[in-house]
Amino acid sequence: MSEGSVQSARNWRAVFERVAPVVTLALLVFVTASLEHAPAGEHHFLTAENLVNILWQWSAIGIIALGMTLVIISGGIDLSVGSLIALSGALGVWMMNTIISAGAILQGIDDSNASGMAPADGPVRAWMAHFVINHHLDGNEVWGVAVGIATILAVGTAAGWVNGMLIAKGGIAPFIVTLGGLAAYRSLALALADGGDLNSASEHLFPAAGNAGVPIHRLTLTNGHPLQLPYMVIAFFALAVLMAILLNRTRYGRYVVALGSNERAAKYSAINVDRIKIITYTLTGALTGIAAFLVASNLNSVPSSTAGNLYELDVIAAVVIGGTRMQGGAGSIFGTVIGVLILGVISNMLSFLNVSPYLQGLVKGVIIVAAIFVQQIGRKRS
Amino acid sequence: MPDQPDAIATDAIGKSFGATRALDGVTISFRGGEVHGIVGENGAGKSTLMKILGGVERPGEGRVFIRGRGVLITDVHAAQRMGIAMVHQELNLVDELSIAENIFLGRERTLLGMVRFGRARRVSRQILEILKCPLNVSWKVKRLSTAQKQMVEIAKALSCQASVIILDEPTAMLSRRETHALFEVIGQLRRNGVAVIYISHILQEVLQIRDRVTVMRDGRVSARLGPDEMEGMTVAELAGLMVGRPMNQHFPARETRIGERFLEVEHFGDEDISFFVRRGEILGFAGLIGAGRTELAEAIFGLRGKVSGVIRLDGRNLKISSPGDAVRAGIAYLSEDRKESGLMLDMDVTSNTTMVSLARYTRWLTRPRAERKAASHYVQLMRIRIASLRQPVRALSGGNQQKVALAKWLETNPKVLIVDEPTRGVDVGAKEEIYRLIRALVTQGMACILISSELNEVLGMSDRIAVMRGGRIVAMLDAASASEERVMQFAAGVQENLSA
Repeated sequence: MSEGSVQSARNWRAVFERVAPVVTLALLVFVTASLEHAPAGEHHFLTAENLVNILWQWSAIGIIALGMTLVIISGGIDLSVGSLIALSGALGVWMMNTIISAGAILQGIDDSNASGMAPADGPVRAWMAHFVINHHLDGNEVWGVAVGIATILAVGTAAGWVNGMLIAKGGIAPFIVTLGGLAAYRSLALALADGGDLNSASEHLFPAAGNAGVPIHRLTLTNGHPLQLPYMVIAFFALAVLMAILLNRTRYGRYVVALGSNERAAKYSAINVDRIKIITYTLTGALTGIAAFLVASNLNSVPSSTAGNLYELDVIAAVVIGGTRMQGGAGSIFGTVIGVLILGVISNMLSFLNVSPYLQGLVKGVIIVAAIFVQQIGRKRS
Repeated sequence: MPDQPDAIATDAIGKSFGATRALDGVTISFRGGEVHGIVGENGAGKSTLMKILGGVERPGEGRVFIRGRGVLITDVHAAQRMGIAMVHQELNLVDELSIAENIFLGRERTLLGMVRFGRARRVSRQILEILKCPLNVSWKVKRLSTAQKQMVEIAKALSCQASVIILDEPTAMLSRRETHALFEVIGQLRRNGVAVIYISHILQEVLQIRDRVTVMRDGRVSARLGPDEMEGMTVAELAGLMVGRPMNQHFPARETRIGERFLEVEHFGDEDISFFVRRGEILGFAGLIGAGRTELAEAIFGLRGKVSGVIRLDGRNLKISSPGDAVRAGIAYLSEDRKESGLMLDMDVTSNTTMVSLARYTRWLTRPRAERKAASHYVQLMRIRIASLRQPVRALSGGNQQKVALAKWLETNPKVLIVDEPTRGVDVGAKEEIYRLIRALVTQGMACILISSELNEVLGMSDRIAVMRGGRIVAMLDAASASEERVMQFAAGVQENLSA
């Protein structure tokens, strides 16, 4: 092969990797729309409301997937994100409730101590409740929500940092470290909520972020209200733009690709490989924190056993379907956004085609394997 | 055994790797009951030839004959079936398996589908006894020392009952006692009619046990020595045959005014190495593979963490504990293996060129246009042949890849440039391009350390030559008065230490 034809083959491959997810999404939308047997005007899939709903349901997954894209490009993996949703959400709501209903909590602790059923978090919580009351913050919803949100973000970031430190400085494989995180973070959340739900004590302020949105007056729903573009969706797209800039136009982003492309050469090129790894996992933890906040706000509660459960699978699936190379060294944020949309459209389609929810995992599994298979064909051709 | 066909013979074997001609028309015959030594410089083609005999590589041209019959050695198993056993330079043992399992790996005798471990252990024990290496054959290989592993490798070859045994640098890691035991075994094999092919850099050993010796140089056979020619031959004479080629390379003329001492390294590392490089000077490092040249360069570049000793640049003491420190101090290191540690093969020419100096092309965000401008500057300066700046470097030829790797370091405007095997796997045109460039930079006042296993390169480019052996600098020679023979004598340990 002459150099020219090698070059065109490479270009073809790059184009293929970029375009394949978009084509898949377009096909899916087309198929889904035509599968819907509804009289004109009564169709459901291709309505602004439904599409916004899909985005809404998948924006938390999407936000984490942005971080996971960098992790996978760098040659790593993070399995702990789903459990981290539960842990950071649970700790945040726990903190928030301690401030908003400090008096009631103290009362509750006294009652259970009297009945000999002291909760595990009793002493710490009692101390904190006293602190809150002493500083006249008891019942202050604004303070409670602020501290709660800060806690969620801080816990997510800190857990990501721990993952990164263990991987970079401890030299443990990312798969193992984050598999440990998957088990440990969930377990901590369950312990904190005693296996149940941690319901938020904030009635209006905390749930606003995950439920409200910007009204779009041009689009009116059947009930006469304007369509709301949820803050969650806006956050997803705004973060996607930021992350795309981070990946493509900063030194850090370049080093992430370099690290995934050839770690040894990165070290020999005077790149601080450990630091890049730590930043990458910390960033993913922070994004998971943001997603955890939005999920907790949306439900105004953190169900410790189900919050974020199996999110890691959807997140990794979205990244891979979006064309990011599982071995690292190549990938794009744009592809990941498309990957999230593909997953969203598929699950939406399955549910209104009345496919049993038990079978939805099968379809997802087939799509993931097919996406990788198609990627490999594209690679072999070139 | 007159008139018996050769145990194994090659006829006009050729092999190319990309632009590099590794073997060219190699015809050698190995007789049963003889020990046949093969010597030559690094890269002379010895290992490639043995890989072809062992089925690891396929020959590009030519034929292999076993006992007079032409054969096609398709893979390692085919070689084993034909009775060729190879003891590799690199250890090829499975750490988690026992000694006996390793010795019979891939050739397990089974009874009704079950491996006969008892038999494997018994036979392994016998072979190790012959080798005077009484190890517990049930031990996992990971418990063994490097020397012991080497003995297991040899036992593995013996267990095949091969008619041809290839030993590639077998004694490099053995103690004197083990070496002696190995020589006795070789003697025994020879008496049993086995053809032993013995490759070693330790010329003394080769002279001691050989029946005949073939000298290789630049992928060709340069001398054949039978028992008669070898009578009374000295190590120095053999070393002379290995080198002593006419200079076939054009090196740019030295025209530098050499300045004051610039980089000074004192009492560095465990081996307490000291040397200096002056402004405008190229200091060549010669030595055999494993002499510690790359290790020294990597330590100076901070790849081995903190190392004891002093590094001074332009009179100032440097604290180097990471490559980042070294780069900030103005040291650049072109590593010896561009694919493993030099380039991001899937990233494009531009990204690779600015990999180390990216900070200069970043304000808040990277500036792609400035980056491309820098990359195209080097493409023109070094005449790098590419189709586009966005081309992944994987698609480039070896020479052009090496130019990109070098451009990456020149981009950092280094004060000291360390180049490790800068022209390995590079065609002649690109070689001269690289030489010209290094020489031009040195003329501008840079100091350069040139590590190379190609003697004529070291001699042609350097102003002074440091010869390393066993992790130490054993000689510091003035390039004007040095010869390949002299360098080789120090490198192979014929001449004892001499410091300038």
